[in-house]
Amino acid sequence: MAETHSLQDMRPQAAVAAKVFIQRDYTNGTVCQFQTKFPSELETRIDKQQFEETVRMLNNLYAEAEKLGSQSYIEGCLACLTAYTVFLCMETHYEKILKKIAKYIQEQNDKIYAPRGLLLTDPIERGLRVIEVTIFEDRSLTR
Amino acid sequence: MTGGSSKSGGRGPSLSPLPHAVVPPSRPLRPSRYVPVSAATFFLVGSTTLFFCFTCPWLSERFSVAVPIYNGVIFLFVLANFCMATFMDPGIFPRAEEDEDKEDDFRAPLYKTVEIRGIQVRMKWCSTCRFYRPPRCSHCSVCDNCVEDFDHHCPWVNNCIGRRNYRYFFLFLLSLTAHIMAVFGFGLLFILYHRQNIDRLHAIVTLAVMCVAGLFFIPVAGLTGFHIVLVARGRTTNEQVTGKFRGGVNPFTNGCWKNVSHVLCSSQAPRYLGRKKCVQSVFVQPPFLRPQLTEAQLAAKILDNGIQGDLHRSKSSLEMMESQSCDAEPPPPPKPELRYPGITRGNTEDCSLLNKAPPTPTMYKYRPTYSPSKNHTAFTHAYANQLSRGESVGSARDSSSSTSSLLQASQQPGFRSQPSLDQRDASSDQGGEEGGGERREGAREVAGGGIPGYSLGGRSYPSFSDPTVLAGVASRSSSSMHTSAGAAQVSEATTTSASFKSLANQTPPPHHPSRNGSLSYDSLLAGGDDFDKEVVAGSGVPEVSAGRPCTPAVGYSSPFLSSQQRDPEMPSLSSQSPHHHHRTAYHHPFLHRSSSSSTSSSPPPPPERERLLAEPHAGAHALPAGQTAGSLSSSAQPPPHHHHHHHHHHHHSHHHHHHSSSTSRPPRFTGPHAPPHHAYPYRTRSTDTPLGSSSTSTTHPSRSPYPPPLGKSLSYSSAAAAEMQYRLVRKASASAGANAAGVGGGGGSGGMVGGGIQTPKFPG
Repeated sequence: MAETHSLQDMRPQAAVAAKVFIQRDYTNGTVCQFQTKFPSELETRIDKQQFEETVRMLNNLYAEAEKLGSQSYIEGCLACLTAYTVFLCMETHYEKILKKIAKYIQEQNDKIYAPRGLLLTDPIERGLRVIEVTIFEDRSLTR
Repeated sequence: MTGGSSKSGGRGPSLSPLPHAVVPPSRPLRPSRYVPVSAATFFLVGSTTLFFCFTCPWLSERFSVAVPIYNGVIFLFVLANFCMATFMDPGIFPRAEEDEDKEDDFRAPLYKTVEIRGIQVRMKWCSTCRFYRPPRCSHCSVCDNCVEDFDHHCPWVNNCIGRRNYRYFFLFLLSLTAHIMAVFGFGLLFILYHRQNIDRLHAIVTLAVMCVAGLFFIPVAGLTGFHIVLVARGRTTNEQVTGKFRGGVNPFTNGCWKNVSHVLCSSQAPRYLGRKKCVQSVFVQPPFLRPQLTEAQLAAKILDNGIQGDLHRSKSSLEMMESQSCDAEPPPPPKPELRYPGITRGNTEDCSLLNKAPPTPTMYKYRPTYSPSKNHTAFTHAYANQLSRGESVGSARDSSSSTSSLLQASQQPGFRSQPSLDQRDASSDQGGEEGGGERREGAREVAGGGIPGYSLGGRSYPSFSDPTVLAGVASRSSSSMHTSAGAAQVSEATTTSASFKSLANQTPPPHHPSRNGSLSYDSLLAGGDDFDKEVVAGSGVPEVSAGRPCTPAVGYSSPFLSSQQRDPEMPSLSSQSPHHHHRTAYHHPFLHRSSSSSTSSSPPPPPERERLLAEPHAGAHALPAGQTAGSLSSSAQPPPHHHHHHHHHHHHSHHHHHHSSSTSRPPRFTGPHAPPHHAYPYRTRSTDTPLGSSSTSTTHPSRSPYPPPLGKSLSYSSAAAAEMQYRLVRKASASAGANAAGVGGGGGSGGMVGGGIQTPKFPG
């Protein structure tokens, strides 16, 4: 598939300066939650509020994914009845939320983090252990 | 231990390779692993088939067609659950990437404690997977993977049972029990009706099937009952057999009903391996936006000299920290800054505004920016548990704030009194001093020890004033303080370390001599390894007072420097000035500053320094014994009296060091990492052998104040020597951490839990 690149794209991406890892918050057990504490490395890069809002939103989405609600119950019963063959055709509730999360992170990156030289990595790629925030080198301010 | 090919990384429908680009080497095929599962499959399918063929036709005719249908459904259920339990990924964690564990270097602690509903739970570092295992996660030796919510490794399905497939395993057990009961029952019915012609083939087969069913019923039913109890109590097999919650409280239980519904009704957990890698389509390019500081913020920062702001900030963050468990702090990436030398210089402006210290990007980066997180991270990484406890942070904070004023007071005279011996050009001047003082105070808030100490030393480091400050800080805070103090000193003495770079640049010339003179105690106070890195970097540029990009590697953060970062700098050290070497040497056990110790060229420290040295050394006392040996070695000639006290050693060693050229650097001095009572093992990079190593390393210091093979410790390649040093540190911190964990955990239960919650030794 031929890909066209704008001249803009040909410029090299900023170099990675640092990586901050937002760890999981285990105060409520093994429920998937991330710490909302604002890491110091990001102090100069982004507003505390914005960052915490992002993490809070992610926590809410994960809580919704793990919720023991009617949907997950019906899904379980259906899977049992069909000898789990339903998993071959249907997407589980958790996976649906994960897709939503991926979209949310992408959107946050595009709108908020990339313009500030940051990049969020979907925690699912790290086994839901950390949110990796990549800090890019700010060449414009380099001496 | 590992058997079978490609068994790691998950099995089942998602038979995908590990997410890493590197394909793990295929392990040798171990047929013995497949014997139980083959036997189980054989018996299950074989017996049921025989049952359906010989027993069911008569039963369906005699009684009802519902009999075979019922048995068929149950058997189908058994098979489906058996297949899911066998082939489904139990919840394997992908190996952590290189970047993630950079901060967790040799010196990182083996355990991190986290508070879950008021109970202290330890997270162990997995050397294979390169991360701290989340709670309830365990590494299966058979599958060679860390599995989430690890239950056990079941040989009958030849798979780990974890978060994702526990439900299927449980349902398999339930349905298998029902199936066995049905087969046995209907078989018995058949036999009862065929007593007369029992020698018929059908009867014989039925009898055989009944025997098999009867034989398997007892263990299967027992296991089923066991797991019913586990599910009701919200425990895993691993936790049950290791007696984790024997006397204590299970923090993972939500009540019987919720536990059962969680197992049976929760949505299928996602797999972590073999996921479609989402392509990052975001293009990141400078110029970048920066958060705007409001006028009020700016004014506040400028006016209050950062102290008030820091205090407020630290206090609030402290509360947050305590609620979230320090260990869960995001690891500070000081090393990333070191790792990426071209790191943002943008901090410079911010630093001056926010830190009220001279624009020192590294300093700024290391300072937890008014939050204790940095402290804790530093602590954690340096000394783990103990430091993570709130008290150490609080104490550090108190000491820092109290000492800041002291520092300030002593700052000025301290600066001037030291003759400048440092050949490094003092680029900084009076302005630097002020800034240094400020920075020191500000930094202190942040690190509560680690960082502040660092900042103190790094800046215009008045040799005698620093020890005072450091002493106060160190004595109260954890070893991290020491580290920072040491770092500070180091940074001062040597502009080598990247983190100290900025500091060094601003250090006024008068400090040089003090540095040289106080090499001994500087090195002693500074944290070991971290500084090594720093020092190495610094020493590389001793003559260049400025110009080196301030790597984030604050002396304190040096421990997190990746080895790559370290190595290139190391060679440069050998050519450095003696005091540079000295500093780096003691910092880094690996440092092979084989360069002649600078002591020979430095004048003896002024008497005041001696006095002041005593104080920080008191704090340094906390250093594990191993460190003493290490640090003392820095002076090269370990006078006999070195054994006794760290600080004494420092004094003497420094003196001796000064007077005699020592070829051996004090690389052993790992700095005041942790109080001696810390017997916290630290994890090595490659293997999980903290205890063994720490025990061996502990004996080391007793032998001599300096590590015997100084040359070896100096050699860059002797990672073992460095490791030993770290072990000592870790051991000290670990024991302290363990104590703290025991104490800090919700009272008695916490203590019990702390003791009880061991790393699962489940023979997965």
